[in-house]
Amino acid sequence: MVIATKKGLARVQELYQDRPQRVKELKAEGKKIIGYLCIYPVTEMMTALDIVPYRVLGDMRESITKADAYLPPVVCPFLRSCLDQGLKGKYDFLDGMVTSHICDVGSSLSGIWHYTVKTPFHYNIDTPHTVHETALNQTKGVMKAFQKALEDFAGKKITNAKLKKAIILHNEQRALVREAYELKKQDPPLISGAETLKTIKVIQSIPVAEGNALLRDIISEVKTRKNKPAKKNARLLVWGSILDDTPLIEMIESLDANVVMDDTCVGSRPFFDDVKITPDPIDGLAQHYLVDIKCPRTFRARDFYAAKKNYMEDLKTRFSYLSDYAREWKANGVILQSVRYCDTHGYEVPQVRDYLREIDLPGIYLEHDYTVGALAPLKTRVQGFLEIIG
Amino acid sequence: MTQEVKTRPLNRLKSMYALRAEVDKMYQVGGEAKAKGRPVAWVMLEGWANPILNAMDVITVYPENYSSLCAAQKLAGPFLERAETEGYPTHLCGYARACVGYSARMVELDGQIPPEAPAGGMPRPNLLISSAEVCDARFKWFQSLGRYFDAPVWTLESPSPNARESLTPGTYERNTQFLINEIRQFVVFLEKLLGKKMEWDKLDFTSDGTNEINRLRWEINQLRKARPCPMHTRDFWSVMSAALYRGAADPTVIVDGNQKMYDEVKYRVDHGIAAINRPEKYRMSFEGLAPWHSLSFLDDLADRGWNFVCESAYSPGRPVVIDLSKVSDPIERYVRKRYRSLASAIEIEFGPEEAPKVKEEIMREGTSYRLRLKHIRDYQCDGVVLHVLLSCRAASSGLSLFSDQLLDVYKVPSLIIEGDIIDTSLFNPVESLKKAEAFEDTMDHYKKVRKNLGFEW
Repeated sequence: MVIATKKGLARVQELYQDRPQRVKELKAEGKKIIGYLCIYPVTEMMTALDIVPYRVLGDMRESITKADAYLPPVVCPFLRSCLDQGLKGKYDFLDGMVTSHICDVGSSLSGIWHYTVKTPFHYNIDTPHTVHETALNQTKGVMKAFQKALEDFAGKKITNAKLKKAIILHNEQRALVREAYELKKQDPPLISGAETLKTIKVIQSIPVAEGNALLRDIISEVKTRKNKPAKKNARLLVWGSILDDTPLIEMIESLDANVVMDDTCVGSRPFFDDVKITPDPIDGLAQHYLVDIKCPRTFRARDFYAAKKNYMEDLKTRFSYLSDYAREWKANGVILQSVRYCDTHGYEVPQVRDYLREIDLPGIYLEHDYTVGALAPLKTRVQGFLEIIG
Repeated sequence: MTQEVKTRPLNRLKSMYALRAEVDKMYQVGGEAKAKGRPVAWVMLEGWANPILNAMDVITVYPENYSSLCAAQKLAGPFLERAETEGYPTHLCGYARACVGYSARMVELDGQIPPEAPAGGMPRPNLLISSAEVCDARFKWFQSLGRYFDAPVWTLESPSPNARESLTPGTYERNTQFLINEIRQFVVFLEKLLGKKMEWDKLDFTSDGTNEINRLRWEINQLRKARPCPMHTRDFWSVMSAALYRGAADPTVIVDGNQKMYDEVKYRVDHGIAAINRPEKYRMSFEGLAPWHSLSFLDDLADRGWNFVCESAYSPGRPVVIDLSKVSDPIERYVRKRYRSLASAIEIEFGPEEAPKVKEEIMREGTSYRLRLKHIRDYQCDGVVLHVLLSCRAASSGLSLFSDQLLDVYKVPSLIIEGDIIDTSLFNPVESLKKAEAFEDTMDHYKKVRKNLGFEW
C-alpha cells in the first residue's frame, strides 16, 4: 500500500496537479474505479461495493481537439472537454462510467462516451425532471435498476446494511465539507475560494474515507495556519454551472474580494444536504438525489397544484437558500456565472437575478467558454462590479 | 424568340393546403375562446397533454409552433431582441426566446396580444403545460414564463432512458407505470383547477383521433420510399403542424385531411409523379430541425434535383397494435396505445433475423448504427443535410456521430449547414447554396462507391 507523505492542503495541491494519482495506485492494488459525470449518479452504491467513485471532469487548460468529431462546438464546452479527455485516454484507468440524465447534452454524451471511449461498464441513470411524487417513486425504481446493474458488474450484492454504512460514510463527508465551509464565515475566511474548489475536486478523486481524513487534516490546518487569506472589502457568493478549475475564482480573488460561499457542483451543492437514513436506504437516496440537490436541471415550484402562481413566492421556494447563504456567510455580492451553452443555468439566470433584486443583494452575470484565455475581459467587469458594491 | 417558362421546383401537394389552414385556425379559435372566457393553455407539442386538455374542454395553443410561424413570416426578430433585453442568453432555444419576448410584450400591453403579432397572436394563457419530453427547454422555458404570467405551470413528466437502459428487463413496464401515474396526477391537477371532472369517453375520442392521425402520417411516410419520392420534406413540415400542434381542432377533420393526403400521395406513387418538378438526382434526408425562416432554400436545392424524401424530426412511429379490451383503466389504455417498448419496436422494424443483432449492438456499444441509420437505408438516400443549430442542443449534439457512422456504414455523405430554427442572422443562404453545389460531387463519388460495393442504391 502506498502511503501519502503530504498532508492537508499540501496533499490537496499534490492531487490537484495529478488527480488520478491515488486511484491509479488503488487500481494497481486491484480496486475497481468507476467514473461518474455530474453529481446525480449514486456514488454511495459504488462505495458499498468497495468500488472507488471518481468524478469525471474536463480540463479547461487543454484545447479540445478530439471531441470535435463527435460533439459540435455549439454544445457545452465542459462536456466537450470531458469527452475530449476520454478520447485522449486520460480516463483509461476507469473500469466503468456512470452518467445520468443531467441535461440534453449530458444524456447525449453518455451514449457517445459508451460508443467511443468504450469504458468496460457503462450505465445511464434516467433521473426524472420534476419533484412530483410520481417522479420520486420513479427515481426509486431507476435507482434499484442501477443497483442491479452495478451488482452484476461487481459480481456481488449490496446488502441494506452495506448501503447504510456507505451512506453514513458519505454523510460524514458532507458534514466535514460543511464544517470546512463554516471556516469561511470568518472575516477574512480561513480558507480561500480557490483552496475550497481544489479540495472539493480532490475529495471527489479519492476514496470517500480517505477524503474524510484529508478534510479533517485541512480543517485542523487552516484553523492554525498563519498564511490565511487576506481581508478584502467584498465577500462574494458564486452561483452557477460547473467550475472545475480555479482560474475564474483566482481572478476574482486577485481583486479586492474573497469568495466565501458558492452554489456550484464542484462546491457546496452536493454536500449541503445529508442523505436521510431510512429503513429502505433507496428511499433516502431518492429523496436526496431528486429533491434535495438543488440544480436547475430539476423543475421545482412552490405548489404544483396551486390555481394561481405567485412568482415571488415561487422564487423564494426555489432560491431562499441563496439568501441564507448570503446572510450566514455575510456575502455582499453574487457572481452568477455559467459556461456558455448551458441551457439549464441559462434559463435560470434572469430568475435568480429577480430574486437577488428582491432581497437587495447585488449580482453580476458572467458567461465564459471554459477556457483560461477568455477571462481577461471578465476581470474588468468584476472590477467594475466590486466598485459598485463598494 | 420564345422564352421557356420554368415550372416551380417543388410540386406541392394540394391536400397540404387544407391541413395547413387548420393550424392557422388554431390561433383564431384560441382568441375567440379566450374572449368567451374559456380556459386557454399554452402547451408543448401534441404529446401526452393535448388529448387530455381537449377532453377537459381546454383550448390549446402552441408557443413552439407560434415561434416558427413568426420566423416563417420573418417577424420573430423583435421578440428575440426583447428576450435578450430581458436577460436571456442568446444561445437558448429560439422558440423559447421568441416566446419570452412575446410574453414580455404582452405584459407591457396589460395582457393584450401585441399588435405586431402575426396570425392574430396567442391569447394570454390560463395555464402552462410544459413537458419533460425531448429536451430541457420544454420545461425550463415554461418555468421562465412565471416572470410574465400568474398561470400555474405543470410539467408533465416523461421517461427518457438511453437505448441500452431501455432494453434492460423491467425498464419498459416501470416507465409505463410512471407515465400512467404521472398522467393520473395531471388529471387530478386539471380537475381541481377547472372544477370539473374528466369525461373519460371524451379522452377516448381525442386520443383515438391522435392515434388515427399518426397512423395515417406513418402510412403516408411509407409511400415516400417510392422512386421518385412523391412528397417533399416541405410538405411534410407544412402538415406536421396539423398533427403535432392541432390544438382543439376536431380530430376527425384532421384525420379526413390526412386521408386525402394519403390518397393524393398514393396516386402520385401509382403514376410515378415526383415531389419536385425536376429529375430526382439526389434523394436527401434533412437531419435536425427546420430553418423556418428560410424554407425556400429547399426550393433552390429542389431546382438542382435534390428531393428531400425523409427527415429526422417529427416523424411518427409505427402504430401500436395491441389488444386492450381487458384494460378497464382509461389512463392505462391511453398510455399503452401510444407507448411502445424499444425492444418491441426493434423486433417489428427489423424482423427476426436482424433484430437480435440490433439489440446486441445496443447492449455492447450503447447505440446501434442499424437503428440510427435505418431511415437512410429504407429511403435510399444519397446524402443528408445536417442542420446544426446554435440554439438547440437536443437536436444538434448527436449529429456528428450520426454523420460519421453514416459515411462509414452506408457510404452516404453529409453536408453540414449551420443555422437556426428562428434566428435568420445565423443562416447564410448564399454560402450554404455554394456548399451544396460543391457537395454534389461528393454525392456523385459515393454513389459510385456504393455501386462498387454492391449496395442496393
